[in-house]
Amino acid sequence: MAEPRVAAPAATGRRYRSGIGRDGVGQATLFFLPALLLYGVLTLFPTLETVRLSFTNAAGLGSTVSFVGLDNYRALANDTIFWKAFRQTLLWLVLHVVLAGGTGLLLAVLIARTKLGQRFFRTAFFLPHVVSLAVVGVIFSMVYDPFFGLLNGAFRAAGLDFMTRSWLGDPDLVLFSVAAASAWQGYGLYMLLFLAGLQNIDHSLYDVAAVDGANSLQQFRHVTLPGLREVSTLVLSLAMINGFKGFATVWVMTQGGPFYASELLNTYIFKLAFQFQQQGKSAALCMVLGLLAITLTIAFNRWRERGKRW
Amino acid sequence: MVNAFNRRQLLQLTAAAAFMLPLAALPAAAETLTVWGPEQYSQDEVRALWDELDARFEAMHPGVTVEHMLPTGTINDGAVQAAIQSGVGPDVLLTNSGVGRVGIVARANLIQPLTEAYAEHGWGERLYPWLFADLQRQFDGALYEWPDGLDAIGLWYHADVMAEHGWELPDSYAGMLELFDEIKAAGLFPLMVGPRSNFNGGHLFGQILQATAGRDVVGDVLYSKEPWTHEAMVAGAARLQELVERGHIPREAVGMNLDEASRLWFTKRAVFFVAGPWFTNNARGAGFDLTNAAYAPMPSDLEGQSKPTGGIGWSWMVPTNTSNPELALAWIDFITSDDAMLTRAQDPTSWMVYPRELPPFEPAIPVLNDVFAAATERGIGYNPSVYMPGNVLDTYYQVIQGLIGDQVSPEEAMRLMQEAQDAAG
Repeated sequence: MAEPRVAAPAATGRRYRSGIGRDGVGQATLFFLPALLLYGVLTLFPTLETVRLSFTNAAGLGSTVSFVGLDNYRALANDTIFWKAFRQTLLWLVLHVVLAGGTGLLLAVLIARTKLGQRFFRTAFFLPHVVSLAVVGVIFSMVYDPFFGLLNGAFRAAGLDFMTRSWLGDPDLVLFSVAAASAWQGYGLYMLLFLAGLQNIDHSLYDVAAVDGANSLQQFRHVTLPGLREVSTLVLSLAMINGFKGFATVWVMTQGGPFYASELLNTYIFKLAFQFQQQGKSAALCMVLGLLAITLTIAFNRWRERGKRW
Repeated sequence: MVNAFNRRQLLQLTAAAAFMLPLAALPAAAETLTVWGPEQYSQDEVRALWDELDARFEAMHPGVTVEHMLPTGTINDGAVQAAIQSGVGPDVLLTNSGVGRVGIVARANLIQPLTEAYAEHGWGERLYPWLFADLQRQFDGALYEWPDGLDAIGLWYHADVMAEHGWELPDSYAGMLELFDEIKAAGLFPLMVGPRSNFNGGHLFGQILQATAGRDVVGDVLYSKEPWTHEAMVAGAARLQELVERGHIPREAVGMNLDEASRLWFTKRAVFFVAGPWFTNNARGAGFDLTNAAYAPMPSDLEGQSKPTGGIGWSWMVPTNTSNPELALAWIDFITSDDAMLTRAQDPTSWMVYPRELPPFEPAIPVLNDVFAAATERGIGYNPSVYMPGNVLDTYYQVIQGLIGDQVSPEEAMRLMQEAQDAAG
């Protein structure tokens, strides 16, 4: 009689402890709760609140808010500035990937080939990455000054006056100018990742390629690039994420001007929310930007998976 | 039946009263008045001035301590709204104003109307009559701000450079263009502006509109009585483009901000610059001596329309959730007194155009005499930038850049302005 009375609960207790028992659930919840709470407060709630706001006419912190259905989305569809910012955001994304990612790759390859001072160059070229984007914006505004700036000054000193430009005033140039400033800050991280990837390529492959008569360019194309496939995927993903976050340099340098020539979805979101006090429309634009990011990420992942099969 | 105190009760009462007497003699519980601003409060010279004013107010209100909150921004960027909504914000605030900005916080019920306080304290009489009339026009007679300072934007120029070349300031717009041609021929930039700092583009365009359309038309457009596509406004936009096409303003200027553009003026490569009296701050920062600087509004071919532009630049407001409403009003009453205003006006850090005529005083920087004289003798026209809600303002700044950069025609620019105005309601 005494045996089952004592043994049964003990056995049950052991079973619970070995799986996700009642006690285990309690303990797991306890450990899980802080993270869940933070995630809920900092991510989930703001996201859901943004979705809710996008269907309202929220306009200012103290305003009365009412449900307006899809009005904000319709307003965006008819907004010429939105479409301009949309196109420019895509271009900005491409520019960031090409300029920052490309520079990172180029420098990584060059540094990897350098026999002397590799560590110095690696550190020196990485340094811009630790500068905040806002500071980069201020610095490059000075570099691009048409009269006193470093860039036009260098052209003038070299007798290349015809190359001087209004880097932030020319509507055809401004997005490239700001993207270059942003890329200057961003390439360092990508360079380090590519350098790590290069170290993993079996050097004998280069020897074999050289024996087969491949020149440097052919070695780069047929050995280096395939060897960097995995790292490239990571860099591309990071560059896309950072590209989507493009705001600080544009805001500091041009605030979307001249005449919307550097307006991005992010700067327009900020203007709608904090300058125009149209939080509803701004939230709708956040949703559009979110959907764009998700769509591009899915497309990129599919492309990557297809590449793997090849 | 009469309740009489016996001796014991009387003794107890006397003892209690004796104990309470010193407590009653204690000063009232300490109160703190939290003031948002001024913007330059972190500068030592500016803080010294406000310390003196705070001490005077504290002496007038025993037990009160004045504390300043350094502004983290303005109404434009939402900082004022956030501070008020935080619940631990200021009791009274000084910030950039103008009907466009004040309207945002007034409509959101974040600041309280001061209409009754105006009547009670006679604050309206402490303002230029035209300014008080303008204020009453803004919110159907309701008053939400007390204007602390006016902007008076005009042309700043190097009097010594002008004298050296034998140039004189013309009194017509056509004469100004001829002068600019001569300045350009002499290898100097006639007029410099930094529209990449949006507001400076707004300063220039406001002056051009004032000179071209006149105060009444600009005012009617801003109060939606006339459209932005009014022919005088389109003519103003065309004049801005003409200044660029004739090389009076370099097209590169569109990519420059106020600091970059003013550097060309401080190095005397540019003869004219568009700015308000606050430009003395920029000059001080650049170490530029303003002894040879002069100031005048842009010449106009319209009779009596060569005026500085600006309107209300900075105002006092009282948040609805202030914990000390009476003290906040007492502060405004104090700070708008002749005594406090004269102290501020004579301080070396002062540059503001005050909202009423003050007893005669000598400003610390002589060129400010020109600014004050222009403002008081000619009156002040509209700087449209401070009369617009956010979305219209952004369009305004963008079309100015577009006009300078030749990205938009004058007609299209004004059509876009009207569209933005319509959308804002």
